[in-house]
This record gives sequence, structure tokens and C-alpha cells, in this order.
Amino acid sequence: MATLRPTLRALPTSRPLLLRQQKQYQRAHSTVSANELSHFSALASSWWDPQGPSRVLHLMNPLRHDFIASCLAQGTPPVTSTENNTGKEVGNANTLKYLDIGCGGGIFAESLARTINPASKSTTHTRAASITALDPSSTLVQIARDHARTDPIVAEHLRNGTFTYKNCTLEDHVSSSSSSSPSPSPSSPSQSPSPTPTQSPSIPPTNQYDVVTLFEVIEHIDNTSPTSNPTTFLTDCLRLVRPGGWLIGSTISRTLTSYLINQVIAEAPWPVGVVPRGTHDWAKFVNPEELEAWVQEALMRGADRGVTVRGGGGALGEGMRCIVEQNNSIH
Amino acid sequence: MRPLARSLIRPYVCPSCRSGRLPARRQFASDAQVTPEIYDVVCVGGGPAGLGLLAALRASPATSKLKVALIETQDLQKARAWNLDSQHFSNRVSSLTPSSVSFLQKIGAWDHLDQDRAQQYQEMQVWDGETGSRISFDWSMETSPFEDLRTVATMTENSNLVRALLSRISASGDENVSIFSNTTVSSIDNGTDLPDGPDLSAWPILSLSPTGAAPSQAPSRIAARLLVGADGINSPVRRFADISTDGWDYNRNGVVATLSLAEQDPVPFPLGTKTAYQRFLPSLGGPVALLPLPNNHATLVWSTTAENAAYLKSLAPKSFIAMVNAAFRLGMPDLKYMMGMEKPTSSDVDDQHESELSWRLQHTPQSGPQPPLVTGVQEGSVAAFPLRFRHASTYVSPRVALVGDAAHVIHPLAGQGLNLGMGDVASLARTLDYAATHGMDVGDILTLERYAAERYTTNAKIGGACDMLHKLYNVPGQGPIAWGRSLGLEVIERLPFVKGLLMRQAEG
Repeated sequence: MATLRPTLRALPTSRPLLLRQQKQYQRAHSTVSANELSHFSALASSWWDPQGPSRVLHLMNPLRHDFIASCLAQGTPPVTSTENNTGKEVGNANTLKYLDIGCGGGIFAESLARTINPASKSTTHTRAASITALDPSSTLVQIARDHARTDPIVAEHLRNGTFTYKNCTLEDHVSSSSSSSPSPSPSSPSQSPSPTPTQSPSIPPTNQYDVVTLFEVIEHIDNTSPTSNPTTFLTDCLRLVRPGGWLIGSTISRTLTSYLINQVIAEAPWPVGVVPRGTHDWAKFVNPEELEAWVQEALMRGADRGVTVRGGGGALGEGMRCIVEQNNSIH
Repeated sequence: MRPLARSLIRPYVCPSCRSGRLPARRQFASDAQVTPEIYDVVCVGGGPAGLGLLAALRASPATSKLKVALIETQDLQKARAWNLDSQHFSNRVSSLTPSSVSFLQKIGAWDHLDQDRAQQYQEMQVWDGETGSRISFDWSMETSPFEDLRTVATMTENSNLVRALLSRISASGDENVSIFSNTTVSSIDNGTDLPDGPDLSAWPILSLSPTGAAPSQAPSRIAARLLVGADGINSPVRRFADISTDGWDYNRNGVVATLSLAEQDPVPFPLGTKTAYQRFLPSLGGPVALLPLPNNHATLVWSTTAENAAYLKSLAPKSFIAMVNAAFRLGMPDLKYMMGMEKPTSSDVDDQHESELSWRLQHTPQSGPQPPLVTGVQEGSVAAFPLRFRHASTYVSPRVALVGDAAHVIHPLAGQGLNLGMGDVASLARTLDYAATHGMDVGDILTLERYAAERYTTNAKIGGACDMLHKLYNVPGQGPIAWGRSLGLEVIERLPFVKGLLMRQAEG
């Protein structure tokens, strides 16, 4: 990828900025780990190299689309009148709002943005109308934006706002979504204020998403402190999902196979290894039972704040197992 | 053997180094900050491969949404209007394997083909002119006596196929598809990073110009998300992508002609069964093949040395017919003698080749089924083309894919050239369909590498097998190699399952 080369130069200057942000995140009890953030920012230049360390992610990406399509086949949230406020036509087959958490260099977000086709009268396989992608690393978001410019279709979506990259943490996004609503919907006054002052207010439906995606993210979440752990992270994710919507993700499970493949082989010194040391921390890998427990916990916490507990949970656990298998076969 | 080995075992360059080497090839176009017209797939070359790809992309719901363009130097209007009466056939004929036919059926192009001009054959007779050992291919061991014999292949004029593909493309409507005929690609450069628009610096930009004074409505500059080279052996697209190609010339020519035949004697059973004949002539440099066409016509493909080809081309029709009949019947020394005969100065004298043949035939014992006698040659249909072997080092590069002859050229002795091209097109269309339904960029190397992985070894295998056969059947005399190849042929003839395996391989 010749087009990536110039972005290398931006790397040293962005580093102080990065550290400042890390401090800020830690103050705000972000689930973003400082080590993970700096590690992946350093990987930035090779993010879109088809033969680079992210090759496996690139190869996996079409499977994510298959997975999403199989989830959507089971049901999608009903199209509500609020859709009209966001400029979408009633009767358009593709109305789903996507949020990609931890988009990194944009491998998945960009491929999803490519499926947005406002002119299409038939349903596309993702039924996407818009996508917002978040990542805490400013370097990676810059990489993602630069790469999106190399595809005129994606660049156009980026320009007209159907595709947005946001350089912020999930927690920041949740707080900005709950405090400000870009287009106040008529149902807003009827929204009850948050039950307790310590909890953040609930998110208006216009700021929620039909599909929230979480690809290869959960295994990089800090699990050390009681205020920032996978459960709080998943709770925030679920708060952004519209009733009847989907939280779709994938991760690597903590098995002997994944230890051998991801730690021993993939991170071995050159020429055996394909990813730099420290990309994965096997201890942070998640097994399906654990994930299911976290999601249950998150759903219960979310229920306190008005998250509809229906669907999602079971399918999510199921999906995890499905992706884990495919993940191993790719290696 | 050396050049084959060299093409199979190339110096290994690891994929990451290969991609690292790529940016160097691409120069920056200094001019034109204007946004060129952007297409998803631009196919250079309007032959069977290029048009096949376009028709396949139009046939699938996902890829029919892609904005596609095809650029062809020739006037495709002439190809659309091509028409010949039922007693005349073009000399450019290909044998389509059942898998190529099923691909054409799948994309809906088969229905547009003039079926009266296509000829299926159910049997193939192959024998060695030096030793007489013989093998016959048909599906009789795999079909029950109660059903029709399966087709080995279908003979189709390339013009008929091209016309069918063009009409299939027209039938798909003109939304998202542009065919620029009478148009030449004058240059291919890399785009620029447009300050207010997309960054096209890794996109191929084609500069187009009309061919001669002929009308052309093509825009002058178009950008390609994916540039497909279906532009033949000297592919300009391949040159732009800086993909090297390896190969050699066989120093042989393929002599083609459209022939008319005498009635088959005895009458074939069941009625209408057609047979293709191929006889290897080691002393004359290659095989001679007679492939059936409708209405008792046939097409000739005679692979021979350049001198022999020039000699055959210079013969009067009567002498040419005598030579073809001799090639399927006489022994090697007789043929070699006749190939060197003095050409008659004027055409009104009794044809010497003809009388020579009838005299020599009386003294040559005939064994096994013989092809029907050739009785006529269509005027102006005798032509010769050089036989070559080429194989590109890779079929893909970022935003570039090669199909058909641009990727590989092989010896025609198994009639596989066009079929390999159809296989490429089917595979590339499938790859692009997957990409289009999975949010992938159709020009991305990650998309294209699936296509290359699917086709490269298959094509190398078939091209290599044809090359091997060519070399094996160019050893004259009765030495150990001739003995060995005859033994091999006899063994295969007697082992139905090995034969079945080979036929399935050839079927594709």
C-alpha cells in the first residue's frame, strides 16, 4: 500500500498528543488500556498492508459480513418514525444505523461503509444506512480517514456524513450521546430522567444504533480495576443498542490452541511470527461462558437504566463460538 | 525441458517483498487535476475472455451494480452484425469443454449462441503416426447404453461466441455498462491525490483515444477501481502492472482451414455421433487434427514447422486437400516426401499431390477408424499462426487482474486455450461477486489474490501438460521414447479409470 507511506511521518508528532489523551482517559475511568493504546498506535503504518501484521484481520473481514447477515436474517429493529428525522426515506430497504467500537485503522468500518448505497432499492446484505466508527487512538483514526480517501465511494460517504470516524472512547461517546441529541425528537420530553444522580442519563433512541459491532476488541479491554472492566464496557455498548437491535462481536477464546497460535507462533521472532510482540495478552482472552456471564451482568445493569433485555444476549454468546472457530481455521 | 522448469520454479519472492516492489513501477501523471470518470471494472480487450467477463458480471445481481466499461480497438458493431451462411465457417474455431459450456449457460450467453453453427462431438480418436498406437476418448464407459453419449466438447466459431456474448450484454440493459469500441488505450498512468476529492494515487487512469477516424464516444480519461487485462499475448495492461511473463516460441505454426468432408463411411452409430481426429506426426513437428463442424464440415488445426506451414499455405486447393488426407493416412516417410514435392507451376495440369496420394495409399495398410475424406477447402480459409507458450509471473497486482491470453498462452494440441480463459473469467467473476457482497473493494489485492490462487496452478498444470505432450510427440523414429509413449498410450487405453480421470481433467 503505497498510499500509507506518508502517514508514517505523522507518527512522532502525534505521540505527545496520545499521552495527553491517555491521561485524560484514565481520569475518566476509561476501559481503554494505556499499553494497548500505544501498542496499536505504533502498528499504524502497517494497518492496511495486505501482507502486514493485520493480514489475518483483513482475511477475516468478509466472514464478519457473513456473520452480520446471518444475524440480521433473524430479525432487525422495526423502522420507527424517528428515522425520518435523520433524512432517510420511508420505504427505503436499507435503514440500519451502525456503530463500530474500536475501529482501529477502519478495516471493518470502511468495508461496511462501502455497502451503504442510498440509491439502492433492494436490500443490501448489511442494510446499512450509516456508520459511526470509534477508536481512542488518534493515530489510527487518522490512518482510517486517510485510507478512506483512496476509495471514492467511501470518501463520498465520509464527506456527506453517512460515514463518520470519531476519535474518542466509548465512554466519551456514551456521555456525549446521552447529554446532547442532534435532532431533538418529539418523544424526548417523555423520557424519564436517570434514576440516580451517580448513573449517567439514558440515551435517547435517536442516538442509539441498530447494530453495534465489537470486532476483536473485548480481549484488549482493561480488566484490572472495578470501575473499568469488560462488564462496564459491555454495559455501555448495550446502552447504545436500540431495542431489538444487535450487539455483534468476535474475539479469541482462551484455549491451548489460541495460546499456541496467537502467543507462541504469531508473536514469535521473525520470520515465523506475523504480529509484533505484545499484540495479544493471552490472559485477557475471553471464553464463551465468561462472555455470556459478562453480557448477562451487563444486561442486568443496563435493565436498571432502561435497556430492553430481549434478544442479543443468547445470540451474542452463540456468535462468539461461531467466530472463534473461524478464527482458528484462518490461522 | 529447461524452459518449462524455469517457468514452474521461479526465484521465490515473498509476498511482502513483492508488494514492496510495486510502487516503483507507477509514475505520476503530471497533468489533469480534473476527476476522471470513475469505473469499478474496466476491461481492456473485447475478445471472448473480456466479453465473457462482462457478461458474467452483468448476470449476477451483486456485480451488475458495478459500473463497468470495456475497451476494444476493433469495431464491435461488425462483430454484432457478423453473419455467414450455413455452408461457410470462420477458420477461427474453438472447442468448448462442458465446463465452459455450463459457465456460458449459467451467465445466460449460451441461449444467444447460434446453435446451428455449433457442433458437439462425442468421441475423439488420437493416434501416433509413427507407431500407430491409438487411444479413443468417449464417455461410453460412464454412460449407460440407454442414454445419449455425453459430449466431449463443442466446436464453436469464435465469432459466433463473441456475437452471443455481445447480445447477452445488450440484453442485460445499458445501466452501469459502457462498451467503447473503436477505442485505443493510449496510455495508462497512476492517478493523483485530488485535494478536494478522493485520493486516486494508487488507481490506474487510462487515457483513451479513438482508433483512426472511426467514431468513438469514449471519455478521454477513465479511472479504474479494477483494471482487467483481457488484451492478449502482448497485453499493455500487463506491461503497465509490470508483471513479467515467461515462455518460449515453439517454432511451429498452426495451419487452420475450413474443410468440407465426404459422407462418413460407415454411417456412425447412433446416427449423428461426431468424432474428432488427431494424429501425431513426430517427423513433421506436431499433430494434425480434424474437428467436426455442422453440415459435414470440419476445421483443421495442423501444428507443424514454419517451413511446412509456408509450403502448405502456398499449395493449390487440390494439393492442399491431398496433403490433409495424406496426413491422416500415410506413413512418416511418404508424408515427408510429399511435403517436399515440387509445386505445379500451373493449376490446369493434373494435381501431382493427388496422384501421389492415390498411388501411395494403395501401398499403405490402413488400421483403425479413419476420418472421412476431405473433399473441399473453403476459399481464403487457409491461415497460419505461430505457436507459443507464455505464462505471466502473477495474474494480479493492486487494482490489476489478467485473464485469458494476457495471463497464459499454451500449445493448442488439446484445444484448451479458450477454455482456460473461460475458466479465468468464471473464477474472477465469482471472486468479484464475493467481494461485492462482502463490502470488499473489488480492486484490492486481498480480493484479487483469491482469483490468482484459484487459477494459477490449474493453468500451469494444463499448459505444462500440453507442453510435455508437444515435446514427447516431437521425437521422430522408433527409438525408446516413441516406444515408451506408445506403451503409455496403450496402457491408458486399457485402463478405463485412468482414461476417465484424464478426461475429467481435460473437461475442466
